[in-house]
Amino acid sequence: MVRKRPKLIKERVPTPERPVEERVKSFVEVNLGYDFASAVKEAERCLQCPVEYAPCIKGCPVHINIPGFIGKLVEHRDDPNKAVKEALRVIWGDNTLPAVTGRVCPQEEQCEMNCVMGKVGDPINIGKLERFVADYARKHSIEDELLAEMRPSVCGKGKVAVVGAGPAGLTCAGELAKLGYDVTIYEALHKPGGVLIYGIPEFRLPKEILDKEIAKLRELGVEIKLDHVVGKTVTLEELLEEYDAVFIGTGAGTPKLLNIPGILLDRIYSANEFLTRVNLMKAYKFPEYDEPIAVGKKTIVIGAGNTAMDAARSALRLGSEVTIAYRRGREDMTARIEEIQHAEEEGVKFEFFLNPVEFIGDENGRVKAVKFEKMKPLEERDKKGKRKIVGTGEYVTLEADTVIIAIGLEPNRIISEEATGLKVNPDGTLVVDENLMTSIPGVFAGGDAIRGEATVILAMGDGKRAAKAICDYIEKKRKANA
Amino acid sequence: MPYKILDKKELAMNEVWYKIHAPHVAKKVQPGQFVIVRAFPNGERIPLTPVTWDRDEGWITLITFVRGKTTMRMANELKPGDELLNVAGPLGNPAPMKKFGKILAIGMITGIVEVFPIAKAWQEAGNEVTTLHVSPNPMVILKEEFENAVSRHIVEGFDLQPGWGMNEIAQELVKRAVAKVKELLENEHFDMILTVGPAGGQKAVFNVVKEFGIPMHADLHPIMVDATGMCGACRVTVGGEVKFACIDGPGFDAYKVDWDELIHRSGFYAPMERLALETYLKQLQAQGGEQ
Repeated sequence: MVRKRPKLIKERVPTPERPVEERVKSFVEVNLGYDFASAVKEAERCLQCPVEYAPCIKGCPVHINIPGFIGKLVEHRDDPNKAVKEALRVIWGDNTLPAVTGRVCPQEEQCEMNCVMGKVGDPINIGKLERFVADYARKHSIEDELLAEMRPSVCGKGKVAVVGAGPAGLTCAGELAKLGYDVTIYEALHKPGGVLIYGIPEFRLPKEILDKEIAKLRELGVEIKLDHVVGKTVTLEELLEEYDAVFIGTGAGTPKLLNIPGILLDRIYSANEFLTRVNLMKAYKFPEYDEPIAVGKKTIVIGAGNTAMDAARSALRLGSEVTIAYRRGREDMTARIEEIQHAEEEGVKFEFFLNPVEFIGDENGRVKAVKFEKMKPLEERDKKGKRKIVGTGEYVTLEADTVIIAIGLEPNRIISEEATGLKVNPDGTLVVDENLMTSIPGVFAGGDAIRGEATVILAMGDGKRAAKAICDYIEKKRKANA
Repeated sequence: MPYKILDKKELAMNEVWYKIHAPHVAKKVQPGQFVIVRAFPNGERIPLTPVTWDRDEGWITLITFVRGKTTMRMANELKPGDELLNVAGPLGNPAPMKKFGKILAIGMITGIVEVFPIAKAWQEAGNEVTTLHVSPNPMVILKEEFENAVSRHIVEGFDLQPGWGMNEIAQELVKRAVAKVKELLENEHFDMILTVGPAGGQKAVFNVVKEFGIPMHADLHPIMVDATGMCGACRVTVGGEVKFACIDGPGFDAYKVDWDELIHRSGFYAPMERLALETYLKQLQAQGGEQ
């Protein structure tokens, strides 16, 4: 495509958001996304760096052809349906869950961080454009035709079992299905999605949208077996007898709890329990839904990652005053900037340099306060580049009738305890080689199961890489046997 | 996933028996393990224990005690031929299977359901098993099945008095259980005790067993959500450490359990459980009024 030298437009086209006073009363999505006209306007800001160079593509863990899909929106600006269809075709080449990633990726640390435009103004709003393409396509039924094109002409190239229906497993399954493999996902819960279904709240990722993204995989021929706990319902060994290869994407779903007095008091939740009740079980609709949740008037959330923001904003929507207490400082928070801003706008309070040392209960065994030690930062930095902190010996006690602990997660050990041949690191993550193969030949792994708690898009990147490695492995084995 | 209800009947007052098509569970389940069931689209996940199973035919049986909204709704609305939405499992660890010698296995009210597969397997493993069912008389179940499966089955039943609520029943249950267990332990020797039942009852029995110094295995029933170790709702303190009953249990050494904490946590949602049940009963009443 021949284009005139583009004019630099420094400021990004904003996306509308639901007003604070409206959104804090419900779990409806906060950001409303672009319409076609504003999406094209934002797309026009893209300088269309060549694909082999474009830094944004390098910043994306699944290497979506970003200028490629953005270019389609501009190219077919007079025909929205065609523009979206062509853009989606480009995205689907690398990523089958764009409505999810467009919403939950930390773009500011990935594609958008690398965007050349970011050096002179705002980076291109790649995430929101990706989301727009996926949402528009779904609303205008543009997906079916493309799905038919994507369905492989030759199937039966091999059988692969995927353990866990989170971002890593879904991506691996989608990629393998596109290549003509028969894929079966084994999922322990009653709904697929992993952290996307039980962890990330509706106000960031509506579950209806997630369900539709996953339905596409079923269209591609992926079978999903729910209620199957690999390691209990079926063993890894049994899977290896039935399938040519196995991918483990079991995530890091076991909450770390604080080993301090009072941890078993009432109304002290792990963020995972709290969010599972709210998101998966829809406890915010109790008693229309059967799952209960008990949130008091004052909630303290401990931690400052995305999970903490999700828990805090959910507790707020259940009618509680919420304070986030973090042992480090404001600039050390690991949550996405957008999420921290949303939490602040919605009225979540922040307390820094507080490290919990005890939960204090009332006579009924319910938490009534949290005792913290005040911390202070040192100049010295730890391995992750964060300032180290030390206790000051001063204490402060904050009242709370609900506490949510969001200090991190580690891999679930059900599968590694059962499959003794599977090599595991001391932190519970699985040992893999450069092809993401575990210590058992034919068994691959990716996502949080090998990284510990990381991001959705890194898990998807692993799923995609593993799919490629699995193809190579099966091909090689076939040739060796022939 | 179709988990068809192959058969269903009321065994006794508030005790409902279901035979469920669930080949994935039937093939693998071991005594001591449980399943998570979700019966309705807006429903919760509840832990239940397979009582019997047939690995070849692919079914399991479950017995529920109608004690709140979900179990009542299942009793009222599900018919043979209907399907359960989700049956996940088997979950938890199997009970330890070895030759202990003489065993006393105690089930309080519907707790006896969980005793059955364990006691049967222990008997088959060469143990001499005595089972004790402490229960209100109208809720006595599985009598014949136990008599066929173990060396000796004792029913310690009691009648319900007019005006009794759950508290009075629980008090009588504990009184009866403690007296009967004391009597048994004073008169004969046991090498191992198993209890299943309400936490308060288990604690009371444990206090008796402790005096005799006999090893005791307790199956615990904390609140569960996912039951795969990803939330910690079911956490209990065992030997001073926080354990998740769904993946580290449900069976634990009774000497190491923090019983008071467990009893306390079991009542966490009591007000909301009551609200859910009341709302459901009102719905039923309204429907009845329309008809």
